[in-house]
Order: sequence, then structure tokens, then C-alpha cells
Amino acid sequence: MRSVIPGLVLAALGIAACSGDRDPAAARSVTRVSDPSDAPGRFDLIDQDLLVALAQAKNFHHKAKVYMTDGNLTAATASVRQILSLAFPRGAPEADDVRNDARALLAKLLVSQNQLDEAARTIDEGLAQSQRESFFVANLYTVQGEIHQARAEVLAAAGDPSKASASDERRQAIASYDRSIQINERLQKKLMEEP
Amino acid sequence: MATQDDDTLTGPVPDADAEPTPAELAHARRFSELIDKTLAGRTPPAMSADDRALLEVATVIRATRGSLELAPARQRAVVEDALRQAIGAAPSASGSVSPIARARARRWAPWALAGASGLVAAAALALIWLRPADPGRRPVPVEWTSRSADALIGPISRDHAGDASARIDAIFADRLDGFRTRRLRGGKP
Repeated sequence: MRSVIPGLVLAALGIAACSGDRDPAAARSVTRVSDPSDAPGRFDLIDQDLLVALAQAKNFHHKAKVYMTDGNLTAATASVRQILSLAFPRGAPEADDVRNDARALLAKLLVSQNQLDEAARTIDEGLAQSQRESFFVANLYTVQGEIHQARAEVLAAAGDPSKASASDERRQAIASYDRSIQINERLQKKLMEEP
Repeated sequence: MATQDDDTLTGPVPDADAEPTPAELAHARRFSELIDKTLAGRTPPAMSADDRALLEVATVIRATRGSLELAPARQRAVVEDALRQAIGAAPSASGSVSPIARARARRWAPWALAGASGLVAAAALALIWLRPADPGRRPVPVEWTSRSADALIGPISRDHAGDASARIDAIFADRLDGFRTRRLRGGKP
């Protein structure tokens, strides 16, 4: 029995060595969210799955645009929402960008329908799921600022006696715009430094 | 089968020069017959405790002198089995002779397993060290890769915050262009 133990140990080593030789993309967790390693520097090639997802997002945007032209904001909102559930290749940086852009438009549509809380929630979800800074994240902060501004106007129009809430919303709007500007500056600087 | 001589082992030891008594002679004769029967494989089912003890001692003495031999039929069977295994045939059903090959295999199996596992581990390690660079990490034109759309879109002004439709058009067109270029070049930079 003792002589079997070295065999089992070596077999385990062999299996461990073999298991290390896996495709990094395949080894990536299904539940893993995008991280900085998904940013430029990754070398996953563009494939048909990515193009299909982008084409679908494009179609939903066009559909929403037609609805908006027609004044049907509810249908336009529903169309944009469908972009959020599109299946992109795992870890594709474009997925984050497209979803964040869809959230920004969705929030603006909700604001135009006076659904400010829902709009704010949409932006918060987008910011919470973003793992890296991008111009699309900066755009989310811009829309967040617009939502705070809209809230301030609603509070002011309602004749809030203390005026504290409206002023607080304005301060938050400025903070959101500042955040957006900072991200844009950082990214532009970074892009300028890249060869 | 108990007799009056059953005190042979427990009684007084007679003088070595003394003449054997008729009873002793009779007992010796009976015991020699008992030994003969035992050697012939016809051990009586019942005997006195003294006779059984003496018989066991006699059997041990005989065994230590190395004069034990297998019965001719048994000898033939063992030789036949050994020869049959030597030419690769299955041993007889009796299984009295352990196959040489099986005994060897049993002795070498753990080492063979250890050796094979070691070879697999070494081959896997060699594969990791010697394999060519991961194709996914090979430098390829950036236009062919899935990447952030920041460089393509640039900063989004507040006036265009909701122009997602125009941006997705640009992203799709750019990625389609990269995909087509790669396909046209056969995937080679």
C-alpha cells in the first residue's frame, strides 16, 4: 500500500499540471464582471458573437429612435431596455460601453417621462456594474447630474419652504458633472499618452 | 480408545536399561501402527490425549528432517500447472500455483503506476514550457481586437449624452471593419 502512495501523488501532480494548461478565456468565471484587464491590452479577437450583439444593440437603438420620433416614449424605453439583456461575448469591453450608453439614454427617456427615481436607479445600476472608467461612465455621471438638476427644479416648483432640498439636489448635480469632467480629463490624458 | 497405558506421559520415567514390560511393548506396537496410519492419511478420528500429543511430536520431528514429500498425483499437478503457465496458458482451476506473471505484476504495479504518472506530469510540464506563445497573446493589429470604444468615441458632450444610436453605429462599423480585414488576411497580421 505504501508503494501506491508515490504513484497517487505523481498522478495528482500530472493532473494538476494538465489542468494548468487551459485556455484563459475558458477558465474565466462565468460570473466574473469586467475588470481593468478587459480594457485595452486584451487580445481577444473580434468574432461573430460580438458583431451579432452589436448589430442587435444597433437595431434596438434605431427602433427606439423611430418610436421617439413618433412620440411613443414608452415603446422607445422598452426598446432601449432590451439592449441591457443582450448576450455579449464574456469579458468583451464593448459590452460595458454599449450597456452604459443604453442606460444613459434610458435614464434620459425616463426623465422626459417624469420618472426621476427610476432614472436615478438606472444610472446607479450602471455605475455599480462598471469596473473601469470610460467616456461612457463619464456620460452616466453627466446624466446623473441632469437628473439631480431635474429634481431640484421639481422641488423648487413645488414651493419647498426650506429650499434646502432643491439646493442639495443642485449641489449633487454639480458633483456629478465634476465627476464626469474628471473622468473625461483622465481618459483623454491617457489616450494622448498612448502610442 | 482410552487404555490403562494412558499414564505414559505422566507416570514415572522407567530406567533406560530396564527391560520393556509387555504393556510397554504393546503400547509401542499400537503407537507405531497409529503413526503408519497417519502417514497413510488414515488418521483415526479418536485417540487418547497422550497418543495425540505423541503423534504431534512425531509429525513435527518428521517434518523437520525434510523427508516430507507430496503425493505423486499432487506433484504431477503442480508441475503441470507450472508448465502450463510457462507457455501462457491459464492455470488449472485448483489455483495451487500462483502465476509467476501475476505475482510479478502485483509487485511492479505500484511502480509502473508511479512511473506512468510521473511521465504524464513531466510531459504536461514540458508542454507548458515548450508550447508556442498563446495565440491570444500574439501581437495582432489592435483593430482586430475586442476593446473599449473610448478611443473611437472620445468624450461625450452633454448635448450628445442621449445620442447612443449614433455611437452604436460607429462602434458596429468599426468592429465590422476590423473583423472583415482579419478574415480577408486569413487571420495573419
